[in-house]
Amino acid sequence: MEQTTAVPMNGQHQPKTRQGTQRTGKYKRYLWGYLFLLPAVITFTLFLWLPIFKGVLNSFYIVDFVKGNSFAGFDNYKTIFADRDVMTAVKNTLYYMGLALAIGFWVPILIAIAISEMRRFQGFARVAAYLPYVVPFVVLYGVWRWLYDPVGPINAVLKAVGIGGISFMVDRNWSMISIVIMETWQSFGSAMLIYLAAVLSVPRDWYEAAEIDGAGIWSRIRHITLPAIKGQILLLLMLQLIATSQGFQTQFAMLDGGPNNATLTYALLIVKYAFVRLDYGVASALGVLMFLALSILAIFQYRINNRGGIGQ
Amino acid sequence: MKSFDRGILSSYDLKKGKVKAAYAIMNLLIIAMMCCMVYPILISLFNGLKLNTEVNSFPPTFLPKEWHFENYAKAWNYIDLPFYFKNTMLLFAGNMVVTILVLGLASYALSKMNMPFKSGIQYYFLMTLFIPATTYMIPNFINLKDLGLMGSFAAVWLPAGANAFFLLLLKTFMDGIHMEIFESARIDGASELRCFFQIAFPLSIPIFATLSIFVFATAWNDWFWPSFILSQENKPLSAAIRDFVLNARRLDLNIRFAILSIVMVPPVIIFLFFQKFILRGLYLGGVKG
Repeated sequence: MEQTTAVPMNGQHQPKTRQGTQRTGKYKRYLWGYLFLLPAVITFTLFLWLPIFKGVLNSFYIVDFVKGNSFAGFDNYKTIFADRDVMTAVKNTLYYMGLALAIGFWVPILIAIAISEMRRFQGFARVAAYLPYVVPFVVLYGVWRWLYDPVGPINAVLKAVGIGGISFMVDRNWSMISIVIMETWQSFGSAMLIYLAAVLSVPRDWYEAAEIDGAGIWSRIRHITLPAIKGQILLLLMLQLIATSQGFQTQFAMLDGGPNNATLTYALLIVKYAFVRLDYGVASALGVLMFLALSILAIFQYRINNRGGIGQ
Repeated sequence: MKSFDRGILSSYDLKKGKVKAAYAIMNLLIIAMMCCMVYPILISLFNGLKLNTEVNSFPPTFLPKEWHFENYAKAWNYIDLPFYFKNTMLLFAGNMVVTILVLGLASYALSKMNMPFKSGIQYYFLMTLFIPATTYMIPNFINLKDLGLMGSFAAVWLPAGANAFFLLLLKTFMDGIHMEIFESARIDGASELRCFFQIAFPLSIPIFATLSIFVFATAWNDWFWPSFILSQENKPLSAAIRDFVLNARRLDLNIRFAILSIVMVPPVIIFLFFQKFILRGLYLGGVKG
């Protein structure tokens, strides 16, 4: 009893000053914290939020670097809805997204499961699968243009099998497919490694137990392996959809949207409006519309991320 | 690696004839896959050594009939590769410095310091993750023009500090460092700057190393954005290759392949050399795809 009362009595003078220095120390530390955050706040404001805001604003203006901007109301949006290329671009983008799912999405899952079963040289297979991912894009374009050439190696193999020559780049039925095959070749390795880590982390006893209970190989894959990597499959599905919906660089570099607009994606149309037609207002408006469409996808991705599909 | 006791298949399964055959086919398919992966890379190296007539022959040959090493000398002199290489390296170095200073300090503050409105500021950064970059690509271009940065390295360096994905990775990593270290350092009178540069930064070297892989890959690969916002004398290697090699009308295929090989070899060698480290780092940032 005595002691507890004695403490406040004893130092009636001292705690006050100590509290005072503590408070200034706290403010000083707040100040340092804000100072540390300041450069990031400035860069995020100047290089992300400002352009985002300007994009919405510019979509209602005619952007002219020389004479200055002039207000245009909804004219830019009217131009978009009157332009038939926009519909083509939307269709092409959906086609591209669909093809990338049909051709590219299942490949890494399949190969990850196959590689996980290898008893030897797993490391080699892993490195070989990932190797194309480090090839620079510009090299990729140059090499594959030759591989797809009417007198290139792929057509040589096809001819040996007895299939007539396919002009992969020029034929408008093949051009988008060729691009998706090339991109799958390059990038499936990184997705494959994520699946592989997940497949290898499935406890071995589960398979043991299933086998004792008489489960065949397919049912082991279907009921154990695939459910175990479901989180990764969903996450990479969302990421792939978000990436392919914005794809344009390959289409731009390989074919410039041709032949006859067959590879003109929506994002490529934005680029063309800006840098070919020099109509930055319409390009900004196209961006705003794209954002509205994609934000639905982004909300889904956020949900999946929050369920903890990432770092497992 | 630990010894392989069983996977989906057990050693009992593998004694069955049918399963054994299927397993053998699967292994053959993986070998075929590996060949498909490596073939385009090797053929571009070899095409760079052939005569132009041999590259254009049908069906194509794999190994050169005659080895023309002088092609690579010609390729080296076709455009000023060391000059563009220097630009790429300058971009990489500048981006790395900005990443460390701007994002490193910010993530340290978010992770290890307390202040009012901290979570609000964090949302201000992370909200940008939900806005796809393509949608504001053109406004971004106009914005850089308005800020007067167009053409200079600063147009790439400064925006490198506005990367919410890297910020998230850094902050998550720093959350794993024990608070006690900083508390005892503060009691010993260390300033916050000192806490960052002498404790937080050295302890976060692994995550900065991972980020440096991403930053390097971007600097080496990215051709589209730099070719629009950088002036001719500041262009990096990949943008120059695109302008002067891919779009060149009169350039022999063998020389073209030699140039492409020269650009491809450094990242491939770096990858093979640091392979274990890079693949481990990839899981950390695996989401980036």
